[in-house]
Amino acid sequence: MDWWFWPLSLFVFTLIIGVIAPISGVGGGVLFVPLTTAFFPFHPDFIRGAGLIMALTSALSSTPQFTKKGLANIRIIAPIVIVSIVTSILGGLVGLWITSAFPEGKYYITIMLGVVLFVIFAVMLTSKRVEFPEVREVDSLSEKLGLKGAWYEPTLDRVVEYRVTNMKIALPAFAGVGFIAGMFGLGAGWANVPVLNLIMGAPIKVATSTSMMIITVNDAAAAWVYLSRGAILPIIVIPSVVGITIGARIGAKLAVRARPRIVRYIVLGVMLLAAVLDIYKGLAGLGYVPKVF
Amino acid sequence: MREVKVDPMNTAFARTMEILTYIGLILMIVPGLIYILTGTGYVDTVKAVENWGKSASEFWKSTKGIEVHGYSWFLNNLSYFDCLSIIGIVILAVTPLFSMIASMVKADTKYKIILLIAVIEFVVAIVRPLFMHVTGH
Repeated sequence: MDWWFWPLSLFVFTLIIGVIAPISGVGGGVLFVPLTTAFFPFHPDFIRGAGLIMALTSALSSTPQFTKKGLANIRIIAPIVIVSIVTSILGGLVGLWITSAFPEGKYYITIMLGVVLFVIFAVMLTSKRVEFPEVREVDSLSEKLGLKGAWYEPTLDRVVEYRVTNMKIALPAFAGVGFIAGMFGLGAGWANVPVLNLIMGAPIKVATSTSMMIITVNDAAAAWVYLSRGAILPIIVIPSVVGITIGARIGAKLAVRARPRIVRYIVLGVMLLAAVLDIYKGLAGLGYVPKVF
Repeated sequence: MREVKVDPMNTAFARTMEILTYIGLILMIVPGLIYILTGTGYVDTVKAVENWGKSASEFWKSTKGIEVHGYSWFLNNLSYFDCLSIIGIVILAVTPLFSMIASMVKADTKYKIILLIAVIEFVVAIVRPLFMHVTGH
């Protein structure tokens, strides 16, 4: 097989992910890593490195616009990233240590990724979204930090003011999410958004935008770990980033017209399949089950 | 009322991020595409394909006979398009750091301190590989 087959396949594959992600409401980054691990011949080190850069690029592209509109707020993310920068770096270090220290490390990571994917699947299936949560009381830390803001909401034709709370409760959650993001190269919107929306009381638009801002900092910090270990290869990163960027633009236009729920369920089904395949692939690599693919 | 007064901290953060992201993306994608289309670089594409199933440490031993600890693997080879593409990634990876620094300038004392801690952590993340080899070897 010619060498260009895989980069070209990766481009087409990420283009499809890019189109589907906005329609289904499932992040492209969270689909890329498990599916590529299941179906492509690359080592998980390079897949996670590419996953981080993909999630970083898309978050960097959207965050400035959200921030200028008042939707993403650095006042909210600053205390969070103090914790999550450390854990995302630790996640990257642990992930690369497992694959380099153990001969079977690649399979351990693949199995763990499958398990994490089950958790993500459960979170996505069960977590609800509250458009404008009511924040009755603000805890003392959040009050002192002045965690509030405002944005113009075109659907209401008015400026919506918001405030958030429960920073102390949310911090451990963001620490855990940062670790998982760094270790597996995943975008972390699936976890950031419910924490910001349901625990801290941020309106859903603020939660999704601020989550993007958090991803820029966490994934950039973790990317340095992968860069310093040579786990970022342009031959994998470039087709992935170009594919998902073009796909996301097509997907965003299609999503404006229709977002059938069936697409979301199909994508969640594919995620579940990827989780099973990743676990099977890992177990097969360790010799616990026969290799079938 | 459609006008929203955005916190100057946020405006500074957004402007810096926007500019650096454009530069980073161009520097990453243009040389990266040239590398993939021509097939030649610091790591030959055919060799990369033959070895990308190996862990990062094994990959570099097999393709270039080196152990990678730090950033010299691409900084010393900037005449190759694949390494030049990594410079774009470096700019993207440093963008949130500069955005936080820009935001610090507009922040009140409380947030200056919080952002300074985040900035220090970020800088440590960048320089850590230069003096530590926590890799399991």
